Amino acid sequence: MFQSRSKPTFFSASEKAIGDSDLRRKLANASGHHLEAAAQTRGEFPRYDEEREAARRIKADAIGRLDQLLLQLKQRLEANGCHVFFAADAAAARKYIVEVARRGGLKRAVKGKSMTTEEIELNPALERAGLEVVETDLGEYIVQLRHERPSHILTPAIHLSKEDVGTLFHERFGTSYTNEPERLTAVARENLRSTFLAADLGITGVNFAIAETGTLVLVENEGNGRFSSTLPDTFVAVMGIEKVIPRLADLSHFLEVLARAGTGQKITTYTNFITRPRGAGELDGPREIHVVILDNGRSAMLADPVMREALYCLRCGACLNACPVYRRIGGHAYGYAYQGPIGSIISPSLFGAEAGFLPFASTLCGACREICPVKIDIPKLLLHLRWKANQDGLKWPHAAVSARRAVVRFSGLARHPWTIRLLSRIAAWMVRPLARDGYVRWMPPPFNAWTRSRDFPVPKSAPRRKPAAKPHGL
Amino acid sequence: MGAFVRIMAAVKTALGSEAKAGAANHQETRVTPPLVPGAQSAELVSSFARELEAVGGHFVGTFSATELSTRTLELADRIGALTVAIGAGVSFNTEPLANALEQRGREVIRCAPVGDEPARHALIERIARADLGIVEADCAIASTGTIAVTGTPARPNALTLLPPAALAIVRADRLRPDAAAALDSLGAETIANHRVAFITGPSRTADIEKLIVIGVHGPKQLHVLMVWPDDV
Repeated sequence: MFQSRSKPTFFSASEKAIGDSDLRRKLANASGHHLEAAAQTRGEFPRYDEEREAARRIKADAIGRLDQLLLQLKQRLEANGCHVFFAADAAAARKYIVEVARRGGLKRAVKGKSMTTEEIELNPALERAGLEVVETDLGEYIVQLRHERPSHILTPAIHLSKEDVGTLFHERFGTSYTNEPERLTAVARENLRSTFLAADLGITGVNFAIAETGTLVLVENEGNGRFSSTLPDTFVAVMGIEKVIPRLADLSHFLEVLARAGTGQKITTYTNFITRPRGAGELDGPREIHVVILDNGRSAMLADPVMREALYCLRCGACLNACPVYRRIGGHAYGYAYQGPIGSIISPSLFGAEAGFLPFASTLCGACREICPVKIDIPKLLLHLRWKANQDGLKWPHAAVSARRAVVRFSGLARHPWTIRLLSRIAAWMVRPLARDGYVRWMPPPFNAWTRSRDFPVPKSAPRRKPAAKPHGL
Repeated sequence: MGAFVRIMAAVKTALGSEAKAGAANHQETRVTPPLVPGAQSAELVSSFARELEAVGGHFVGTFSATELSTRTLELADRIGALTVAIGAGVSFNTEPLANALEQRGREVIRCAPVGDEPARHALIERIARADLGIVEADCAIASTGTIAVTGTPARPNALTLLPPAALAIVRADRLRPDAAAALDSLGAETIANHRVAFITGPSRTADIEKLIVIGVHGPKQLHVLMVWPDDV
């Protein structure tokens, strides 16, 4: 049901996605008016750039003394009565959470929106242990019902139209078909309300963990995080080691930029502060809080002075919205829990060499760097990862290797105008029979490396070139 | 414990020479505009009202403390709230308000510290069935239309979470210009000892085609009533 183990290569998956005109329409529809609204919100806030700089400085400081802050966070959380577990990898995190559920005899889990639990593929592990796991973020709920993975870190069901959701709800719940988002949302609210009230385990991610007070901060719009962290008796929060910030006073700088970058809101509907379990006489809040602090490749990113910057990421999703590649192919083609530009730089560290092709899935246009609320230089990191892949003796995609070889040969040929003219004529003559609808989509080896990721327009009749006029002054 | 030591060692190694005790303790300088008592209040109130309404919330108005019961009853009438759950105030006694609601024939659920588990479950069930939850907010943020509520045994979080409508009462002198000032006035002590939530408008989603829908899990209506305290 989760597909990440059997990965179609990025290139064939993205080709398929580009061919899916329906998907492209949905993506364009969803990101178009959204981008404008977000830009307007930022434009109306004169301090936006100052706040971005401040947020970036705080992250740089926090990541630069992560050891101290993690120790302080652990101590404060424990002093507040929370259990803290450091997980070296995804398997250790899953095992701990399954053990918490087993020990408490827990059966019904509700999840607030969390990318980190997608990263560690927690749901299948809990289901194998006999728990019922329900995603309660509307988008996550929809993709869970479809047995899919989220296609956007912020808007998981962005690849679906309201008609798709209407059909899904109609088939699954027998409610009368509607494509009105209000009525569909009402169906989900109704279904999930009773699920919340009956749940004995709540699981969410964490946006910020404040070392000074031992407080977990969770931002969201629907109330799924607030419900999941308020009603069930046991609450598990899963966070990467990079989520820690030093002080309460640091938080406002992040709140000022996070929603403005991600959704175009000034602030999200809910900012939840979770510090300690339910006290005597209190009506709500979990009786037991477990905080799982996950490494899973992050300390390796920290060790690389260039890659370290990727740990500043707030998971706002803005770089996906801005990315011309993401906007054409959607999230599923990337094949991992984190998609788009940020996914392409962190996935190789989190999911291993298998994801090493992702840094090549970019045009390096720089839109991600422009929009990032903490100004992560994503193109620089992509180039760094490409360079590293080259150093590691790889593993460049064949297309890139051949292209480089071809460019070297071409630069030799280009010095002889007559040769090149002759060769172009031969090439055009050979290629024309392969064309369909004006494009060459396939060529025999070794040229198939080129057509694998590009469609080639049919050459017109043999090119005639006049020698270039001599530039003046020579 | 093993993993903790290993991860800390990995982090220390990764940081290399930077990971020395007392490494740069960076502190941002504050850019929050100063709050001038009185002079800025009207401006803050109008900003708060505008921002709250922009996110789909409802600004009831600014009233003197003596009008609180009348205005709350009007609101309850207008939204057809028959059952009202109410928590203890932050700065004032909510009992007169609860009594006034009762005199007008409303069923009032008063939140008090719960004894045992059955009592706790019963109260959650009752609040979940209420039409309106009423709390006093600790403070509010003018630049975003946000209210900050702290959970206590007599003022549970459920009041602003379970009923389909919530009413927050805020003293006008507890209005802060921005999130930084609000966090500052709440203070680390409050954050560390209570379950705090910043709430900005009714629950919302944009998960279907990025179209905004109000009322997912939390309240579909969020009303805020501002009170000029008698002593200001």
